[in-house]
Amino acid sequence: MLAFVLLLIPAATGCVAAATPWRRWIGWLCTASLGFVLVTGVVLAVLVVHRPALSAFGGVLRVDALSAFMVIVIGAIGLLAVCQSVRYLEREVSSGRSSARRATLYSVLVQGFITAMLLAVVAGNVGVMWVAVEATTIITTFLVGYRRTREALEASWKYVIICSVGIALAFLGTVLVYLAALHAGGVTHVSLQWTSLMSVAHHLDPGVMRLALALLVLGYGTKVGLAPMHSWLPDAHSQAPAPVSALMSGVLLTVAFYVLLRFKAVADGALGVGFSRMLFVTAGLLSLAVAASLLLSQRDYKRMLAYHSVEHMGLIALGAAAGTPLAIAAVLLHVLGHGLAKAVLFLASGEILIVEGTTEIDQVKALLARRPALGGVFAFGLVTLLGLPPFSLFISELNMLRAEVHVGLGWVAAISLVLMAVIFGSVMSHGRHMLFGARPDGEVAHKSPLNVSVPLIGGLVACGAIGVLAWPLDTLLRAAAMVVVK
Amino acid sequence: MNGLTHVLTQVLVALFQVAAVAVGGPLLLGLMRKVRSRLEGRAGAPIHQPLLDLRKLFAKQRMRPRDSSWVFGAGPVVLVATVVAVTAVSPLVSASPPLGQSSDFFAVVFVLLLGSVLLALSALDTGTAFGGMGSSRSMTIGALCEPALLVAILAMAIAARTSNLPALVRVGISHPAVIASPARILALASFLVVILAESGRLPVDNPSTHLELTMIHEAMVLEYSGADLGLIILGESMRLVFLLGLFVNLFVPWGVADRPGVLFVGLGLLALVAKVCAVGATIAVFEVFTAKLRLFRLPELLAGGFVLALLGALTAVVR
Amino acid sequence: MNGATYSSFLEIAAGLVILCAFVTLWRRSLRAIVRTLAVQGMALGVVAIVLGVHRRDVVLIVVGCLVVLAKGLAIPTLVRRVLANEPMSRETSPLVNVPSSLVGAGALTFLAYGATRPVVALVSTSAGRLIPLGVATLLIGFFSMVVRRKAVSQIVGLLLVDNGIALVAFLATAGVPLLVELGASLDVLLVVVVLRVLAVQLWSKFAVLDLDQLQELHD
Repeated sequence: MLAFVLLLIPAATGCVAAATPWRRWIGWLCTASLGFVLVTGVVLAVLVVHRPALSAFGGVLRVDALSAFMVIVIGAIGLLAVCQSVRYLEREVSSGRSSARRATLYSVLVQGFITAMLLAVVAGNVGVMWVAVEATTIITTFLVGYRRTREALEASWKYVIICSVGIALAFLGTVLVYLAALHAGGVTHVSLQWTSLMSVAHHLDPGVMRLALALLVLGYGTKVGLAPMHSWLPDAHSQAPAPVSALMSGVLLTVAFYVLLRFKAVADGALGVGFSRMLFVTAGLLSLAVAASLLLSQRDYKRMLAYHSVEHMGLIALGAAAGTPLAIAAVLLHVLGHGLAKAVLFLASGEILIVEGTTEIDQVKALLARRPALGGVFAFGLVTLLGLPPFSLFISELNMLRAEVHVGLGWVAAISLVLMAVIFGSVMSHGRHMLFGARPDGEVAHKSPLNVSVPLIGGLVACGAIGVLAWPLDTLLRAAAMVVVK
Repeated sequence: MNGLTHVLTQVLVALFQVAAVAVGGPLLLGLMRKVRSRLEGRAGAPIHQPLLDLRKLFAKQRMRPRDSSWVFGAGPVVLVATVVAVTAVSPLVSASPPLGQSSDFFAVVFVLLLGSVLLALSALDTGTAFGGMGSSRSMTIGALCEPALLVAILAMAIAARTSNLPALVRVGISHPAVIASPARILALASFLVVILAESGRLPVDNPSTHLELTMIHEAMVLEYSGADLGLIILGESMRLVFLLGLFVNLFVPWGVADRPGVLFVGLGLLALVAKVCAVGATIAVFEVFTAKLRLFRLPELLAGGFVLALLGALTAVVR
Repeated sequence: MNGATYSSFLEIAAGLVILCAFVTLWRRSLRAIVRTLAVQGMALGVVAIVLGVHRRDVVLIVVGCLVVLAKGLAIPTLVRRVLANEPMSRETSPLVNVPSSLVGAGALTFLAYGATRPVVALVSTSAGRLIPLGVATLLIGFFSMVVRRKAVSQIVGLLLVDNGIALVAFLATAGVPLLVELGASLDVLLVVVVLRVLAVQLWSKFAVLDLDQLQELHD
């Protein structure tokens, strides 16, 4: 029942936001609701970490350690993004770029977006998961096109077309899984419940499951942003308002990946790990390669961050391909770490866009000298994302590589290391260009307002803390990994 | 004695079919023109007008271009001969025509093709610009039609497990479900497109104009006069009736005489006349509302026909 | 309804769905294509109704009626509104000419038969044999999204993909559970609404009809 309450809070906040004209307190109410989600996530995690899963409505909603972990991810990153949205909207409204009505629309859509993601991770039924993921597409289309410029409309058109097709394929995959379950021998009651699919996994027809898994990887992979279905991602992420980019890049991609992990577990039961490993390795390496080649000559820092997300999705796909408990735990840690760091960076890039008025890398210079706080956050964010110690991404990448070598995917680890080195080099060079340099004469160092830097620094500190003291998450990650690894 | 009676009956049936088609062809043309005229608000010529035209043409002197060879004369004769040959052995009035064993759908199509090819050759034979243009266009359309037609036949043949024409019709009578199968429906839709294209009806060719930029069939026969022209008109109209008769018998085989006897053959004739007139009138109505397609758009239409046939064959294979 | 009539009804309705997919490639007039889409939606509903009558499954019959209403009437009306807003877009402007795309679609149909062999082998009912038709419709939808660049053509392609998937879902499993089915249909309706809003904005603000005009975002 608790899971249900959890879903209701952002939905209710959305209703409140819809009913009242936009004021600053609405923004803080939305932030509070996300704080509530985070707290509920932690409570749920404590409840299910060593105990059986909670379920409600005859299993339509179901929370196990993996779901609880994803709720925490959504809560944490959502909190950052929604907190920054208050400032974003205030500025939009005061500058006249957007009316109070559109600010209301924004708040409602963001709350709806978060509700849909929460539904996707607490759904016990793979059909409901699908509906929730598709709902995120519909809701975020308007958020991507929020600025209503020609570019924004172009990006949202591409986004909705590509993702709808992808998600339609995922539906076909789901139907085929259901079909295989209907024809599994000796099963009396069949449903789309994930648990019941898991229980018949060994009896599913391998031919059909192969087709189904391929379609699911293609379909949900589109939403994850795995190459070659990634083409919507840089456009949508660069055109959406910064807090929305943070939410999409930080959580939406990984929510889709979470669904894929659940299906992988079912398919591995029927097919063994070989087939899914082949698919995930292909998609992962391709994503890394695409990200590496397009990051080299990137001129737009928001698109740079977007391609960087493609890289990280590739990395977690490779981690999932390894598939050992250690690897999955590392994948989940990576999901959290990447989400936090990417959200911080997108929010910081939103600030940079506001103060510098451009998204071109070439036009932004000497940030560290001119705007120490903002530049510092951006610099530390980049360092985090590139996987340097002591941040959590270092630990998770290291563990994923170790797991890959352990299961005999050493060559994959080697190729990915090379591609990561290329990406490291190009991002460093872009970052150096933006950050370093002398302050022009006569310009004083700007201070960023406290309410900008505090959440961002908070996010980075959290990321570092998780890296150094894995302790409170350690047990949860293990339990979550055991959910999808048998 | 019994054997002799059998042979005689068969010959009689064959002659009857040929006679029916020979009279019916011009009459169908007349009917279609009449329907068009009425819909366009004209009184129109009487239905038997084409028969009168033919009588007049056959009475006229035969004129041949100076440089033409025997091919020019052979064209019309071969055209009529091929139609007569396939008419005699096909299940139009009776479901068990003479030589029914050898009446294969593929064979019938190729025999008909012989007539078309010879007509195109004889148009080239005159050496005029129009003749060449007409044959070139006609052969282009033919080349696009042939694959569609062959695949359509293949689809029907696979579904019924035979390409024998009388057997195809009889399967339709004994197992109506075969007719309703997607394979048969798709194949027949494709067949209809091919019939319209091959016999030069709208939207492929307009039989009632002599506009030099658009005409296809009329350009080929421009040099013919007198009895030769009469033969061509007769042959073309017989071919239209034959193809439509085949079409309706494959689609709605009811009424075809499936046993010997004057009564049954008579009923078969009545059924055939009714069905062909209905289809002919429908085509005429359709032509009133249709404009001729540009020549360059024709491949689209015929590719559509081909794909229909292909789908039919596919569904037939998978059944 | 006895076995033979049931399967021939089913075959004709499913055949009509794929036939409409071909017709959308064949026709050039966007209005005619939208009409074809309406026919396809209705044929899809009939498939569900026929299956429902055969299995004496009232829920499936109701779903079939809803499909007729949604895909046969509501969605085509919405798409037609987009057309009414764009006076300039009467005809498709395909990148690949019509005969080649028809032949390509024929090849895709063969591909669909090849790819779904394990599924057909598993189901082995008269409905199961028709599953490749659904997959073929889906592939044709993809194909038309790739080769047709008008906004409306893309919506049509997306709907073809969706109809193909719905056909597979009905034929393979006699419909996924009602909750999911309704969610799925509602989603499609919403996507079409979203696309309509975007298309109208693109046209009214920036006079964009052809998606090749959208070239602002690239690397």
